[in-house]
Amino acid sequence: MIATVARQQLLSLRRQRVFLATLGMFVAMTAAAGILGWSSHNTIVRVYDQAVRLLAAKGQPAPPNPFLLKPELSLLSNMVIYVPMLGALLALLVGHLSLADDEITGLGRLIFSRRVSRAGYATGKIVAAAVALGVIVLVAMGLSIVSLLVANGALPGLAALGRLGLFYALSWLYLMVFALIGMTAALLSRRRSLGLLSAMGAWLVITFAIPQFTSGVRPTASLNPIVDPAGTSQRFFQITARARPISIAEQYKWASGHILVTAPAEPAWQTVLRAVPILFAAALLALAVVALVRRHDFSRSSNGE
Amino acid sequence: MANRKRQRILAIARHEYRAAVRSRILIVLLAILIVATAGSVIIASAGYASKLADYQAYRAAAIAGGVTQIAPSPLAPLSLLRGAFEYIEIIGAVIAVTLGYLTVSRERVNRTLPLLMSRPVTSGELTAGSLLGAVAVITTLIAATTAVAVLSVGVVGHDWIGLRDTGQLLLAFLAAIMYMVTFYSLGALTTASSKIATNGLMIALGIWLVVVLILPQIGDTLDADNQLPGGLFAALGLGHNGEVQILTHFATYETIRTSIEAASFEKHFERFAFAMTDVKERFRSLSLPDLLFQVRFSIAWLLIYTAALPLAMKRSLRKQPSIPQGETQ
Repeated sequence: MIATVARQQLLSLRRQRVFLATLGMFVAMTAAAGILGWSSHNTIVRVYDQAVRLLAAKGQPAPPNPFLLKPELSLLSNMVIYVPMLGALLALLVGHLSLADDEITGLGRLIFSRRVSRAGYATGKIVAAAVALGVIVLVAMGLSIVSLLVANGALPGLAALGRLGLFYALSWLYLMVFALIGMTAALLSRRRSLGLLSAMGAWLVITFAIPQFTSGVRPTASLNPIVDPAGTSQRFFQITARARPISIAEQYKWASGHILVTAPAEPAWQTVLRAVPILFAAALLALAVVALVRRHDFSRSSNGE
Repeated sequence: MANRKRQRILAIARHEYRAAVRSRILIVLLAILIVATAGSVIIASAGYASKLADYQAYRAAAIAGGVTQIAPSPLAPLSLLRGAFEYIEIIGAVIAVTLGYLTVSRERVNRTLPLLMSRPVTSGELTAGSLLGAVAVITTLIAATTAVAVLSVGVVGHDWIGLRDTGQLLLAFLAAIMYMVTFYSLGALTTASSKIATNGLMIALGIWLVVVLILPQIGDTLDADNQLPGGLFAALGLGHNGEVQILTHFATYETIRTSIEAASFEKHFERFAFAMTDVKERFRSLSLPDLLFQVRFSIAWLLIYTAALPLAMKRSLRKQPSIPQGETQ
């Protein structure tokens, strides 16, 4: 039964034009991240050449090659931004469409007129979202490998591929949190638009507001791949910094930075610990979705707006 | 005749305002905006208060010591509002898109659009009335956000915004109203152009994402100096002069990069608002006319967008079928 619900949901997603458009945008931005990485690679080479010439003309020694300072996977550092921005919105949409559509079309009423377990239905929906996001993440990973091949002129080594795999596994987990938020909001609201906008409100709070409170990261600074938290010399941050571990947007960025070696080094166990709150949030939300589906009145059609 | 026209426009505007303030989702989004704004200003003000106390202690000591020439304060209370403007850029735009979406979808869902169209109301009056109502709602939102932000600076930062700063602040918030009106028109335009209203909302949010988050981020990422932590030119041991000299070889690249940034309406609003609120130190010593001259292109773009989007919205409202077709959601 779980497999049937999941298959039906995946088929339904494939037919959704809005979903396909958002997916197209995410894939395009993944490709753009590669192009930007390639462009930054070229710029550094050219700036370095010019710097060597300029310093030679002044009789000064050539500076060290900046590529020695730039890790191999740093070409993909923009993905650390596109996943929480575009990817998370795409995931919200996946979660929202999974449940809102059944209510609008009356499919929910039809399904529950049969002997169908609510827990099985909810699990099927979660599995469908997990598979859809898994495929998206795999496509993004494929594109990233092509970008690295083009920029570096060689396929990434095994270690780099392992790191890339870990980064995309973490991204998948992070996106699952937002898919589950989309489902929860759809189940809690009567109106379809209210469900979508409430989920967006949650995304705004997680992505911009919480990092500002816990680390003093300004909203537009959230668009930088590396989080630069405020010092804890201010009394305010001495208190709020304690909540940093539950700021999943920051934990995701930090963990991604360590996996891609674009952030200062830290012990591996610490990076693993950063994934725990994300995993915990996903598990909690999955339980909430199952509980809400059990209580939800599918005989009532969603009110439009 | 003109009087009746005005009455019709005002009736639509009043309806728009009442319906907006009754919308729960708008109230929730406004609460997020106000709490986030207050938080950002309080965080910035906490450090500011201690710097201000240091300056005042230095000033008192200098006066007591008979020093006649005292250095002016390098602190700018207006700059503490940076977070408030950044939240307006992001959350304010989402609120405006939602407001625009609700303007169209409300009439569709309540089936009041055919009724409205059966009355002697032209699409111009409908657009003008809706826009007027939206401007009133947006002004209320901005006024509430300003009040919270200014109070936070005074109470937490122990520095109140003076008369000279008030003029600049008003200009910045006028720009914020124009910015939000543009996104309101975008939300109404895409919803009116979509058979399923929620799809229109999603399209508007997609455009918002590109304009507000992606284009500025790409522009920043392409900046040569941002290629390495700590700055590429610093890593190469080059000072500002060396950077300028090298960048002359990258004129085309820099043009493309700045054009990408300039394609974002949000960037123009940000440049104007930051210039008005002393965020950029190089602008702090300028008089208001000089400041306005410095940001003249951003002003021009703000005016163009604020005029163009409502015109496009009028066209969409005129073209939408008076009897809803397909799903209304």
